[in-house]
Amino acid sequence: MHELGVVIEVVKTVEKFAAANHLVKIDTLVLQIGELSSMIPRYIKECYPAAVDGTILQDTELKIEIIPGNAICKDCNKVFNIIKNNGKCPCCKSKNWDLLSGKEFFIKEIVAC
Amino acid sequence: MSNFKVLEIKQNVFENNNRLADSLRKDLKKDKTFLLNLMSSPGSGKTTTLTKTINSLKDEMNIGVIEADIDSSVDANTIFQTGAKVIQLHTGGMCHLDAGMTKQGLIGLGTKEIDFAILENVGNLVCPAEFDTGASKNAMILSVPEGDDKPLKYPLMFSIVDVLLINKIDVIEHFDFDLEAVKERAMKLNPNIKIIPISARTGEGIDEWVDWIRTEVKKWNS
Repeated sequence: MHELGVVIEVVKTVEKFAAANHLVKIDTLVLQIGELSSMIPRYIKECYPAAVDGTILQDTELKIEIIPGNAICKDCNKVFNIIKNNGKCPCCKSKNWDLLSGKEFFIKEIVAC
Repeated sequence: MSNFKVLEIKQNVFENNNRLADSLRKDLKKDKTFLLNLMSSPGSGKTTTLTKTINSLKDEMNIGVIEADIDSSVDANTIFQTGAKVIQLHTGGMCHLDAGMTKQGLIGLGTKEIDFAILENVGNLVCPAEFDTGASKNAMILSVPEGDDKPLKYPLMFSIVDVLLINKIDVIEHFDFDLEAVKERAMKLNPNIKIIPISARTGEGIDEWVDWIRTEVKKWNS
């Protein structure tokens, strides 16, 4: 369960942002998590209420957007999902590809006033 | 609800920590203190390896150790016997150290007179890999009884370290541990990784490890 420490890091960043922008109330927090990152969305959701307890994020809604683990094949230029295709290009079966997305772990936005 | 608006943050979650780690590294460079972040699973022999390392180097440089554990001061007491300056950090349940906690440890240690500082991270192969502590270099210990499949299970850790020590090499014949397979798996994740098989108990390989530290400390502090 290493998600808790990371969610506490999220709280620190949002607290800073809120102070800098004179926000008084936050309604929603939106995170973007890549399919290939080491964060498991289910665990993030589970530890979220505990991590935000007593902070400006208490009682806020957490939304998570999943970013697909996509790659582009260096041999035939096909863009494909790495997980669904077991790391091989579905067209030419090549394992020679560049990662396009999927390792992200971003705080995308907040809904606040 | 009408007053609520969407505010874009678009920030990497680790950005704050990364920034603090970079500034810490700059301070360490200025103070001529080389900081090594040492990571591993619990029971891999971190403290025994450290004891051997300190004993080999203590006549050449001033050494300081930051021990990080969830609780207790068992390791700090062991290190204290070597004569090195040591400080114990309690993470209070947290599974890793971040740059902020490392900074506190360094302040406690006082880096001005320390040439070589070692951060003994919490025994864990997952979370410590995510957080830059501000260290000059990162090293990890994998011990033979843990098995040769660890690079496959914890790829991030193996991909971020500069040195991999394979400890308890003296008992390798009693385990199904394929040293070549580990090397191959680790190099695939991290082509620049330096791999040194050691035994903290018998002293095998310690010379090579200590030589690496000597070179890096000199480079950093010059």
